[in-house]
Amino acid sequence: MIRIIGVGSPFGADQLGWLAIDHLVACSLPNCELMKLDRPGIGLLDYFQNVDQVILIDALLSQEATGRVVLIQADELVDCESLTSSHGFGVAETVAMAAQLGALPARLHLIGILVGDDLSLIPSMDTSALEKQVHSLL
Amino acid sequence: MPERRDVHIRVPVLTRVEGEGALELDLADGQIERVNLRIFEPPRLFEKFVEGYERNQVIDMVARICGICPVAYQMSAVQAFERLAGFTPDRWVTEMRRVMYCGEWLQSHALHIHLLAAPDFLGFGSAIEMAADYPDEVRRGLALQTLGNDLIALFGGRSVHPVGLRVGGFYRAPDLAAVDAILSRLRLALPEAKALVSWVASLDFPDDEQSFTSVALSDPDIYAIAEGRLISGQGLDIDICYFESHFKEFQSPHSTALHAELDGRPYLTGPLARLNLNFHQLPAAVRSVMDSCGIVFPSYNMFHSLVARAIELYLVLYEAIRILEDYRVPKQSYQEVASVEGNAFGCTEAPRGILWHRYDVDSKGIIRYARIVPPTSQNQGRIEEDIVQSLSKMGLDNDDDALRLRAEQVIRNYDPCISCATHFLKLKVNR
Repeated sequence: MIRIIGVGSPFGADQLGWLAIDHLVACSLPNCELMKLDRPGIGLLDYFQNVDQVILIDALLSQEATGRVVLIQADELVDCESLTSSHGFGVAETVAMAAQLGALPARLHLIGILVGDDLSLIPSMDTSALEKQVHSLL
Repeated sequence: MPERRDVHIRVPVLTRVEGEGALELDLADGQIERVNLRIFEPPRLFEKFVEGYERNQVIDMVARICGICPVAYQMSAVQAFERLAGFTPDRWVTEMRRVMYCGEWLQSHALHIHLLAAPDFLGFGSAIEMAADYPDEVRRGLALQTLGNDLIALFGGRSVHPVGLRVGGFYRAPDLAAVDAILSRLRLALPEAKALVSWVASLDFPDDEQSFTSVALSDPDIYAIAEGRLISGQGLDIDICYFESHFKEFQSPHSTALHAELDGRPYLTGPLARLNLNFHQLPAAVRSVMDSCGIVFPSYNMFHSLVARAIELYLVLYEAIRILEDYRVPKQSYQEVASVEGNAFGCTEAPRGILWHRYDVDSKGIIRYARIVPPTSQNQGRIEEDIVQSLSKMGLDNDDDALRLRAEQVIRNYDPCISCATHFLKLKVNR
């Protein structure tokens, strides 16, 4: 079973992970469980359990606020320098913690949707690229 | 003779946290001249936001004040409105509120011990680094945190900003199957929590006894969480409605959070204060775990707060099991409670300490004024006092990094919301 998780919040461009899931629900992906999580923090670790493959989708800060879809490797994302606290436990820190604990799923992929510094602006997501990217990972 | 230095430690603005804090430490001629724990979190506009809303709306609104302890805010608010109405919740509601609160203590204490505090005592810069050498302990901590969150969600629908509480009870009662499922997990976790107490008690704490006043709620029948009278180690024993007569809040130039004093002195609220004042009310099984952990309570070593937190974690698991073992689905999960005009006072024990609320309610049940005194602002003065005492005892001739680390350790020990900020302080030293 493959778990596809949109990470986000109701605010501005941070919704993009959720909007991606809304789009993918309509695609009837086989053997996939789709879910939206609201800033799960370290709780994301629980969603790595009892599953072979996880695809995380999240808004990704970038110089280009284009809505372009990119595939990120887990080790590109890990940035322990930014680790601050329980409140600051984001996707990167949770992936790092899962790696330390041997709790990563057999296959973990991260799909980023590029957004700019102004998070109040929601760029138009490249949904066909999103679909293509997800299908390539299944 | 050690060099007598002038040292100025400045910590810049910290962001990405619920509270924003900084530390300023000045040493002049080998003595501490000034310690300022600067909190520049914005004014608590929530007190204005809630004006014009009715009671149950306010209960949901104040949950938004904190992502870690939303239940505490809701519990103090609901208690205030029910006290004003002269309403005493029935036993089912009282017990289930205690269980829900146990969930919040469980997740908050597990989170602080493992993600924030333990790395300090084991020489790691973060919980992720610590997980390499202590994977089983970190796994255990994260599992306990998840369990606490699930216990909150059982009653609140979700663990962050739950929505289950209302004046008169709960909007709905959990079904038996859901309670049985979590009860099984709570039972499995109890020995894990016992092991956690031993592990935490075995950490190498600095020898740092200090003189301070503990303040906590006290209930004649039970270890107080969701209600009680306000007591102190110096003999205070008052109804919570007299809080404003004894506890004074004031503005310091270096902090947007109000400081608070009891009879003109800083005081401590939180796990160590609670355990120091109420340890005699621990259930026998929990008392046994405390007595065998190797740390003697009451304790005046502030670093034993971490052990107190672990003992309370064991307590809330024990309490949740005890109460849920007799769970039944009630005919009604709430009663209608008519609104009454007047001043409403509520106070409960948030994971970090006493959380006091006042609401002035008009004849139509609308909130016209609110005052909320959270534990972090109450502990500010004590934290500054602690830094002075702890660094002085440690020796001011230590190098700047050692002084900074000890100061951070002291701050984190209180589990303030700003501890997340202080975890990655960048330091600038002017000589």
